[in-house]
Amino acid sequence: MKREDSTILEKYGKDPGFKVPENFFEDFNKRMTEMLPDVEITPVDVKPTMWQRLKPLVYMAAMFAGVWCMMQVFAHFTDTNGINTVSAVAEKMGNDKSNVEDFIMSGAVSDYDIINYEDSVMMSNEEDFAGDNY
Amino acid sequence: MAAREKYDEAVVVEQLHDPKLCKVAFGKVIEHYSSQLYWQIRRMVIDHDDANDVLQNTFMKAWTSIDNFRGDAKLSTWLYKIAINESITFVNKKKVMNQLSIDDDESFLVNQLESDEWFDGDQAQINLQKAIASLPEKQRLVFNLRYYDEMKYDEMSKILGTSEGALKASYHHAVKKIEQLLGESE
Repeated sequence: MKREDSTILEKYGKDPGFKVPENFFEDFNKRMTEMLPDVEITPVDVKPTMWQRLKPLVYMAAMFAGVWCMMQVFAHFTDTNGINTVSAVAEKMGNDKSNVEDFIMSGAVSDYDIINYEDSVMMSNEEDFAGDNY
Repeated sequence: MAAREKYDEAVVVEQLHDPKLCKVAFGKVIEHYSSQLYWQIRRMVIDHDDANDVLQNTFMKAWTSIDNFRGDAKLSTWLYKIAINESITFVNKKKVMNQLSIDDDESFLVNQLESDEWFDGDQAQINLQKAIASLPEKQRLVFNLRYYDEMKYDEMSKILGTSEGALKASYHHAVKKIEQLLGESE
């Protein structure tokens, strides 16, 4: 984008043609520092503002509020998930034997139940086999 | 030669309020800002000796009122404010001495430029300085700060106490007026 002062800049540049005596600034700085009169400086009493004083407390309160909120959210989702898992498994189970593995995975079946189940299956198979032979 | 100590504004401002270190700290301020303030003042008062006097007054005023500087604004902003006020006061005094009205423009300052030993510009530069000097005070200040120092409008706004929009408008008008005056003088 073209600068609005580009016409002046192109024609006249930025050097106004002013110059200073050699070592002017070095001499000036020295002279000026030497001529400074003694002044009474009041040490600054830095009084913290209300916000500066309250800031740490506000930050702490915000942090605790954040942690509390996170815990509430976590607790809420844990409860909901628990209900969902149990109801979903119960729905899936029904009387279908193919769901046994899912049921086992859900952790709701003990080893004792499994052994009983396997024994009952074996028993019924043996009965069927015996029946076929007759 | 001892290596020049690095200038750290936060440290210097802190030292300025320490009675034991304030003088040394102000020496650092002078060293750091004398050049940039000088050029700003010089563009306002044109003459080198006058600029030297105004710069001296600026630092003296800053030093004697250093207790009032609380560090709320930048040190440069505060110093520029003082330098600009001192320059305006000086130019107005010079107008009175030359029996001119305060409302007259500052073209009279440029009239001596040709014979000034601390000016080595050509006629074109004299014409540009005359055009700048003919601007109203505020436009002249804005033009100098923007054109030569490339100062940002937000910084300028803090120094001059004017909105950025108004400063942009002032610069626009100043540029148009200078272009027009330079076109006429060609």
